[in-house]
Amino acid sequence: MTNTGVTLTEARVVILDGTVLPSRELIGGKAWSVARMMSLGLRVPPAFVLPVSECRSYLDAGRSLDDEVWDAVQAGVANLEQRSGRRFGDPAAPLLVSVRSGAAVSMPGMMDTVLNLGITDEIELALAALTGDPAYASDTHARFLHQFGDIVLKADLDSYSAGVSAEAMRALVLADTGSDVPRAPLDQLRGAISAVFDSWDSSRAKAYRRHWGIADAGGTAVTIQMMVFGNLGEESGTGVLFSRNPLSGDRAPYGEWLPGGQGDDVVGGTHAVQDMITLQNAMPAVHHELMEWASTLEREHGEVQDIEFTLERGQLFLLQTRSAKRSPQAAVRIAVDLVDEGVIGIDEAVTRVTPEQIRSVMMPRLDPQHIDQHRVASGEPACPGVASGIGVVDPDEAERRAAEGESIVLVRPTTSPNDVHGMIAAVAVVTDLGGSTSHAAVVTRALGRPSVVGVGDGVAESLAGRLLTVDGASGHVYEGQMPLLETRVDDDPHLSRFAAWVAERSPLTVVESVPPDAQVLDLDRLGLGVGTESAAPTREQLITALRGAAVARGSLLSTAEGVAAAIEAGVSTIVAKPVLPVQLLAVRHAVAGAS
Amino acid sequence: MTSSDLDFLAVHGLAVRKAGGPPTVADLLGTDEQSVSDAFDRATEAGRMIGARGTFMCTPAGQAWLAEQYPVLYADARANGQLTEAYERFERVNTDLLALFTDWQTVPTAGGSVVNDHSDADYDHGIIDRLGALHEKAERVVGRCAEAESRLTRYLERLASAYDRVLAGETDYVSGVRIDSYHTVWFELHEDLLRMLGRTRQE
Repeated sequence: MTNTGVTLTEARVVILDGTVLPSRELIGGKAWSVARMMSLGLRVPPAFVLPVSECRSYLDAGRSLDDEVWDAVQAGVANLEQRSGRRFGDPAAPLLVSVRSGAAVSMPGMMDTVLNLGITDEIELALAALTGDPAYASDTHARFLHQFGDIVLKADLDSYSAGVSAEAMRALVLADTGSDVPRAPLDQLRGAISAVFDSWDSSRAKAYRRHWGIADAGGTAVTIQMMVFGNLGEESGTGVLFSRNPLSGDRAPYGEWLPGGQGDDVVGGTHAVQDMITLQNAMPAVHHELMEWASTLEREHGEVQDIEFTLERGQLFLLQTRSAKRSPQAAVRIAVDLVDEGVIGIDEAVTRVTPEQIRSVMMPRLDPQHIDQHRVASGEPACPGVASGIGVVDPDEAERRAAEGESIVLVRPTTSPNDVHGMIAAVAVVTDLGGSTSHAAVVTRALGRPSVVGVGDGVAESLAGRLLTVDGASGHVYEGQMPLLETRVDDDPHLSRFAAWVAERSPLTVVESVPPDAQVLDLDRLGLGVGTESAAPTREQLITALRGAAVARGSLLSTAEGVAAAIEAGVSTIVAKPVLPVQLLAVRHAVAGAS
Repeated sequence: MTSSDLDFLAVHGLAVRKAGGPPTVADLLGTDEQSVSDAFDRATEAGRMIGARGTFMCTPAGQAWLAEQYPVLYADARANGQLTEAYERFERVNTDLLALFTDWQTVPTAGGSVVNDHSDADYDHGIIDRLGALHEKAERVVGRCAEAESRLTRYLERLASAYDRVLAGETDYVSGVRIDSYHTVWFELHEDLLRMLGRTRQE
């Protein structure tokens, strides 16, 4: 399957059809993942790529595509036409494409994706007839013009909102830039390819490379891929599938799809989506194929996959796959299950969960029994965690009372920069108004303060002066100090097995309490602690302080730096609670040192 | 900047920052620390602010005095159609930025969301890309606001510096709280514009 023969490096474009898997350095990360999915035998929309070397040729030629490469691009388009049975610019069977940048390593600052390139006024009409949905056709056209205007022509536009006609969008771009979005599909393509190459030298990309010591001499590839449509009538749709549930860790795949949906409809969350059972009932063969693909991809990557797919007239297409973001609980469970299934080894599994995730798993939580009758407010959960304190509206008062040692919950109609000192002083925050992107939500997440937003007009005022318990994960506020349950490693079979693996691999012992008769070195007492007035000690200072001690404790020994220093100083036992995150830090230090 | 301008701006800058000393307010205004320190002395004398150990806050009298000054000093600005139009644009960029801050902190997954632990460079780079694009919009819109109030260009310098730190991998400089992160500077700019134009925050 792997073929990186000489002809590839000489080709001006590389056709991606599953027969070749050129290197990431040659074709960039995005095209490489397309080629990899194809090489697994999965159906991916046909694509071709202008390799990284073409970026250099373009820039060296004074920002111009020479005739030979342009011929090769047109041959690439012809290849897509032949594989898809559609034609670029033909209203009878329109081929639309996406154009993406992609360097060997992911890098911010380069041109983003242009979708639906190749659309024209005639094709908009044809799409309207084909999909039976003129509003969709018009929206697709307007979105393309917005994207092309924004990204290629650098028009100063507001972010896209539906309802602007294609004609009006075209006029907006023209008014701002003096340039008309090209009407001929090949001119659009030429403009987009040039813009990708130009973006390699954008000031933002250059600034990024300067910070990271990446040579300016490289370049980006350009991937051109056929668009597929989830809204072409019967047996069409688009969706997202997780190869297992990334929130609970449950082994059953979890997915959502939207029959007749297209593009970001599912991800954007603007439409009512359906679960996988409806897909299984409606199209069992497609469902079966999708599950097979998920399993193949998960084994190939050794991790839960987050898979975007589109179904076009009964034919399933894989658009993208990446490792899924997992909740802390799911991260533990999935790492253990993948070992049991023989997908990864134990040494790998212990690197799949971060110390922060373990800390989060082990945070005390509310006892779900006997608390419902104490609930006094509910809103949108904005930052997880549980904390109790007295409700105070005024941020100055919150700061003053917190300084006197009280636990304060800041309860406000809304928050602004003028309230930040009160939010810092509080143990939790509740606001009447605002959603998950409000100032209160953003600031409390940055501070790690449990918070609930949008509990309703006037509610915060009513909470003032009362003892409250805020659960930022569920979005509930309770009156009184609710009892907390400690998370014990042994209560959860996955967690206890994970903990055993970590303990076996930890280069030092971690215990909850000081062993009898032990001589303990306490870093905090030496003034080497977290949050002390002076600057954080260097690793050398820590090692010097710790050298010779067998048993040590201190707030810094729950940090990566502190644990590293303890190991290097020859400390054999750290006293910390909970022990598991510290053990995991020690394992990570050992693994990093070994590689 | 005349000293009577500074008498006003020093109190205004302190109100925007809520609390601080001459160095932070001088940085916000883009002027020298000694002049601001002198203005702080006069404002303290006049009962418009109080301070201890280098940290100052506006007094209620100082806030009331500011509230009287704004409509007078910014009468032209408030009547300036180009400025108010730029401000409307600012609000739209603000909406996009707030969504971006949230996406930076939490990652949507399977109908829920998890904390972004910044272990996925591709995800973070996607957000930094958006921040870069919004920063370019911010440059244009703040540039237009600065035609009416030139000191606002100082915010652009601070935003650019936060963005540069983000590019260099200092992830806290997107939405961190106790530092001059993009979010911190943006919200100060927002507060400044609200006060100038006599608007109230939507949310």
